[in-house]
Amino acid sequence: MAAPMELSCWGGDWGLPSLHPESLTVMAYAKFSGAPLTVNTINKSWRAPKGDVPVLISADIVISQPAKILNFLRKQKYNADYELSAKQGADTLAYIALLEEKLLPALLHTFWVEAENYRSVTKPWFASRIPFPLSLYLPGKMSREALNRILLTRGGPPPYSLTEVEAQIYRDAKECLNLLSKRLGTSQFFFGDTPTTLDAFVFGFLAPIYKVCFPRVQLQEHLKQLPNLCHFCDDILTCYFRLTVADSALIISLQMDDSLRKSPQHPPRKLTTLKLAAGGEESSPWNRLSP
Amino acid sequence: AAEPWPENAVLYQQLKEEQILLSDNASSLAVQAFLQMCNLPIRVVCRANAEYMSPSGKVPFIHVGNQVVSELGPIVQFVKAKGHSLSDGLDEVQKAEMKAYMELVNNMLLTAELYLQWCDDVTVEEITHPRYGSPYPWPLNHILSYQKQWEVRRKMKAIGWAGKTLEQVLEDVDQCCQALSQRLGTQLYFFNKQPTELDALVFGHLFTILTTQLTTDELSEKVKNYSNLTAFCRRIEQQYFEGHDRDSSATVAARSAKRSLLR
Repeated sequence: MAAPMELSCWGGDWGLPSLHPESLTVMAYAKFSGAPLTVNTINKSWRAPKGDVPVLISADIVISQPAKILNFLRKQKYNADYELSAKQGADTLAYIALLEEKLLPALLHTFWVEAENYRSVTKPWFASRIPFPLSLYLPGKMSREALNRILLTRGGPPPYSLTEVEAQIYRDAKECLNLLSKRLGTSQFFFGDTPTTLDAFVFGFLAPIYKVCFPRVQLQEHLKQLPNLCHFCDDILTCYFRLTVADSALIISLQMDDSLRKSPQHPPRKLTTLKLAAGGEESSPWNRLSP
Repeated sequence: AAEPWPENAVLYQQLKEEQILLSDNASSLAVQAFLQMCNLPIRVVCRANAEYMSPSGKVPFIHVGNQVVSELGPIVQFVKAKGHSLSDGLDEVQKAEMKAYMELVNNMLLTAELYLQWCDDVTVEEITHPRYGSPYPWPLNHILSYQKQWEVRRKMKAIGWAGKTLEQVLEDVDQCCQALSQRLGTQLYFFNKQPTELDALVFGHLFTILTTQLTTDELSEKVKNYSNLTAFCRRIEQQYFEGHDRDSSATVAARSAKRSLLR
C-alpha cells in the first residue's frame, strides 16, 4: 500500500475547505481521484508555512507545487484523467494556461492588493492562522508578492498607471470567465460526467471568488451572472466536500466500496455513488449506531 | 479604425543580423505570418532601439497610419477593427479553445525561450550578452544587457520559474509541443482548413526554435520529435513566405531569420 499522504495547506471558511486557490485545487483533485489524503490545515501551531503552500508529505518525500503534487498522485495511480483522449489532455493544459494568465492576476488582486479587501478580510483571516510574530510579517509579504507578480507579468514599462493595469486585468478575468462558461455549456464537468484535472483547477480558482465575502466584489458579481459556473462550484462542494462524516459506520461502508474496486488504477469517483452515500446520511439507521 | 489598411504600414523589430534574440524573433515572425495570412502588406524595418520605441516595451510593433500597436494580441484586435479577421468563422467554444492555446504558447513556449536566453548561464554568456547590446558602444552594451537580464530574472522569480532547472524547462517545452501536436493531429491548420492567429503564433515560435542555432540543439530537438509540427511549419513557410514575390520583405525576413541566427 502507498505510504500515508499528508497535505498541509490553508484552511477554509465561508463553506469552502480552503481559501487558497492552489490548496483547493489539490484537495479537489484528491477527492476526484479517490486519493486518501489527510489534510492538515495550518493553524497557530509552530509548524508555520516555511515555503510554498500546499505541501504534500508522503513518507520522506516533500512536494510543493500543485502541478508536481498532481503528478505525484498520478504516479501513485490516483489518476482522474485516464478516461481522457490525447486531445482532451492537450485541451486541459491549454485551459490551465488560460486560467493562470488571465484569471489569476485578478484573483490575486481581489485578495491581496485591493486595499479594502485586504485590510478587512484577507489580512485578519490569514493573520489569525499564523503564530504570533510571523502573523505581523507574512500577510504583508504575501501581499507584496502578489502585487509584484501582477506588475511584472502585466504592467508595461514605467511610467505605467496602476489603475490601467487593474482595469486591464479585470477585463481579462471577465473575458476568461465568459470563455469558461461557454466551454462548460450545459454539461456537469468540462469533459463529460466525471471530473478531471481541469475541473480541479477551475474549481480551485473559481470557488474563492464565488464564496468569499469581500467588500469589493466586481469579479464575484460577474461570476454570479454565469449560472453554469456557479452550479459547477456548488455541485462539487455538495458532492465531494460535504462528506466530512464523523459517523464511523458510514466510513466503513465507504471503505467497503473502495476495496471492491479490483483495478490497479483507482477510477475517479462517480457522482452517483457519492450521492447515494450522502443521501443515506440523514435518514439511515446508521446514525443511531454509536461507535 | 474606419480607414482601410494603408500601403505603407511598417513593422519594427530589432536588427536581424546582429541583435535580435530568439524570443523577439519568434514574436515578430508570428505577427508577420498573421499579417500575411490576412493578406495585408507590411514592410519590416529594423532598428536597434525598437524595444524603446514600442509603446509597451515589447517588440514587434506596427506603425499604421498614425497609430502604433504592439504585440500580437492588440494587433489582432486592431486588424479586426479594420475589418479583417481570421477567426470569425469559429464558434464560441472554438474561440475559447483558440484563446486557451494561445495562452499555452505564451505561458510555456515564450517563457521557456526567455528562460533559456536569460537564465541559462552558458547561453547568456555566449549568445545573449554579445548580441543584445551589439549596436551600442561600450559600456552601454554591457549595462543594457545586465539591466534586461535583471528584469527577466525578476519576472521568472515572480512566476516561479527561477527555481527550475534547464531539464525541467525542456520538459515543459516538450509537454507543450506534445499538446500542440495532439491538437493539430492530421489537420492542415489548428482549426480546420483556414489558418487563424493561433497558427501564426505557433508558426512564429516553432519556426524560430527550429532554425536558430543555440549552444545546444536540445530545444529544437524537442520540437523535431513531432513530425506533424515540423510539417506544419514547412507548409506555412511555403505558402505564406515563399509563394509571394521573391523580393517581398516577408520572404527576406524569413530567409534571413534562417541564416542570421545561425552563428
